[in-house]
Amino acid sequence: MSTASVRGHHRRILFLAVLVAVLARPPAAHAQAAPPVRIGVLAFLGVEVALSTWSPLVAHIEASLPARRVVLTYYDVAGLRQAVQQQALDFVITNSGQYAALESEFGVSRIATLESPGVPSPSQAIGSAVIVRADRRDLNVLADLKGERVAAVGEDAFGGFQVAWREFRRQGVEPGDFARLDFVGFPMPRIVTAVARGQVDAGIVRACLLEDLARDGAIRLADFKVLSPRQVEGFACGLSSDLYPDWPLATLRHTDLHLAKAVATALLSMPVSPTGYAWTVPADYQAVHELFRDLQIGPYAYLRETTLQALARRYWPFLLLFFAALAGWIVHAVRVEQQVHARTAALRQALAQRDAAEAGMRAHQEQFDHLSRLSILGELSGTLAHELNQPLAAIANYAQSLVRRLDSGRYTPAILAEASREIAAQAARAGGIVHRIRAFARKRAAVRERRPLAELVREAAALFGGMLPGAPRIDIADRLPPGTLVEADTLQVEQVLLNLLKNAADAMQDLPPAERAIDVTLEQAGHHYRIAIRDQGVGLAPASTQHLFEPFFTTKPDGMGLGLSICKTIVEAHGGRLWAEAHADAPGMTFIFTLPADDPTT
Amino acid sequence: MTPPLDRALIHIVDDDEALRRSLVFLLDSVGWRTQAHTSAEAFLAAYQPGDPGCLVLDIRMPGMSGLELQQVLRAQGRTLPIIFITGHGDVSLAVQAMKQEACDFLEKPFRDQVLLDAVTQAVRRSCRELAAERRHDQAHALLERLSPREREVALRVAHGLPNKLIARELDISEKTVHVHRQHVMEKTHTGSAAELARLMLRADPADLD
Repeated sequence: MSTASVRGHHRRILFLAVLVAVLARPPAAHAQAAPPVRIGVLAFLGVEVALSTWSPLVAHIEASLPARRVVLTYYDVAGLRQAVQQQALDFVITNSGQYAALESEFGVSRIATLESPGVPSPSQAIGSAVIVRADRRDLNVLADLKGERVAAVGEDAFGGFQVAWREFRRQGVEPGDFARLDFVGFPMPRIVTAVARGQVDAGIVRACLLEDLARDGAIRLADFKVLSPRQVEGFACGLSSDLYPDWPLATLRHTDLHLAKAVATALLSMPVSPTGYAWTVPADYQAVHELFRDLQIGPYAYLRETTLQALARRYWPFLLLFFAALAGWIVHAVRVEQQVHARTAALRQALAQRDAAEAGMRAHQEQFDHLSRLSILGELSGTLAHELNQPLAAIANYAQSLVRRLDSGRYTPAILAEASREIAAQAARAGGIVHRIRAFARKRAAVRERRPLAELVREAAALFGGMLPGAPRIDIADRLPPGTLVEADTLQVEQVLLNLLKNAADAMQDLPPAERAIDVTLEQAGHHYRIAIRDQGVGLAPASTQHLFEPFFTTKPDGMGLGLSICKTIVEAHGGRLWAEAHADAPGMTFIFTLPADDPTT
Repeated sequence: MTPPLDRALIHIVDDDEALRRSLVFLLDSVGWRTQAHTSAEAFLAAYQPGDPGCLVLDIRMPGMSGLELQQVLRAQGRTLPIIFITGHGDVSLAVQAMKQEACDFLEKPFRDQVLLDAVTQAVRRSCRELAAERRHDQAHALLERLSPREREVALRVAHGLPNKLIARELDISEKTVHVHRQHVMEKTHTGSAAELARLMLRADPADLD
């Protein structure tokens, strides 16, 4: 179940209707009997409510994708899971908790995350507040609720229970320690009422519900307090828990990649809705997985069975036989014991295999995210060009008209003021679009980890070789001391490497395949590590090298001119530099970036 | 006969409010009368044919697209010239638009002079077409006054047949043909068979085939 209130839900739907306005700019496609686009939505308030609010959305999408009919279907949690299992959908929109479960179970993959107003980031959007009456002086932290009566929406509610459960566990409290734990179902404000009336001592609600109700005049904030309150910058509501990512829109495994890209592109290039909602690059749902793993629920429910217990449960007939045989035939007993050993080993191996498969899946997922980020950036360029053209054209019109009016005398102060205001407003609009593009590279919360630099480079090279059919040969000369570590956001640095490798490969397109080679050199230079990527390609005019790292500068016919500018942003965010050098005596270019040398004392 | 340029009305259809306003501002700066519409549908609801002018039309809009509006106008027999503006240099769209007799196809952002020239061209074309239309309508109205029998006679006169032959073809007396012929000339204000033929061609180029 979900954490959003009825109001939040309605706002969200309104917003999704706006999203459709963006989808409504498809290329003039010829209507054909293409299969319908099937979107499943979690409708936690019941199908009637969902139907009445979502039906305009269906109409809008159908109008905007003339070649594809859109079928929107509403499900509860169980129904949505079944629909995904039966591949009856192309996309799902659901809460973060169910998304993580579907990701583990069926490999659904997020392409966008909702960006709500009033939260620090899409990765930090959903939390729980554990509330009590303000006059309960005896209750201040979560641990004080041992032996008290607590109400929540439901056991499978994400922000409405599971998020708080994790915080209770951190403070050494389990649901069994409460005098009573009532699951009262939706609507959530019922819990606030029960707390106010003293029917329960504490209630678990999604963060911001209290504030929403107070704004509507339904309650007074001063009558309640939040247990174990914490401050998160940019989050204005009372909060008892960590914050988790917002609702995603995800594709299924079988979903057509072009359709997924078209939808992702539309979502990402969409302007912010009047109510402050937007779609953004998919957030990292690892935090949700960690929560499930901590609580041993959802995809990690199997962790509740310890290996020994599982062994005993699964092999009790053998153990029984073992004891029987021990009484009778020693030789037989030894044989059975051997058998048990063998099966134990097999079980351990099976468990290890399952862990490995899971790790493999996660790595695969990350790789996929990575590639989709790169390719979406490419896809985006057309849409963004259109978006940017609108304000630019308006600015040009005003400025040129002004000159014309000044020449002909057809102007008044009011007209000059109007044009100047419009120019400023449109410049701000264009700036906002550019800002969104720049934000693309640093959307993920920076995750710094220590990794061997050479390993990172080799991984990127391997990834690149797999990405690009007929990729040039990449020679890596590692002149660093063995095992040199670098502290960096691995994904971002990999993105820089992939970008530079792609540029190098593009520069050598006109060479015969045998002559195409990329040399990567790793060495230490003072307090920095230096990564140089050298191609044998066409090189660049000296005038071009000056502008190379400016946004929207490109020498490629199909380029957007964003790759290097984003790379530079990333490298500089790591405390390094990125530049290009031409060779005096040899063809091609060398792109060099530095990363600060790892200081083991810090 | 040609309507004056200053009666022209420039219609602007673009879903982007800022761009729409900036186009009004630009066209107003050289004195064109303008009317802005938020969508193709809104334009169709507001459009009053009759005045010369042109349509500055965004090709991609939610709802009815620019190309679809062009098709609707063509189907209604409207001659209003269209200047397309687009954010993408989409060749296939441009080809389709020009095949449907668009006047011009501009890629955003464009230089003001390019748009202003295109508008002037389009309005001139509109004036020419309106004048031709008016002549056609006038000719049509004159010929409408004829009775069916007079029409039969007029057609043969325009083809250059002498009264005797007309009388034989229509199986009436030569005197009756003469009376009809006089009525035709009076009603259509024409003085000769050649003038009548020109009038009929103006009303319908296929009339004398």
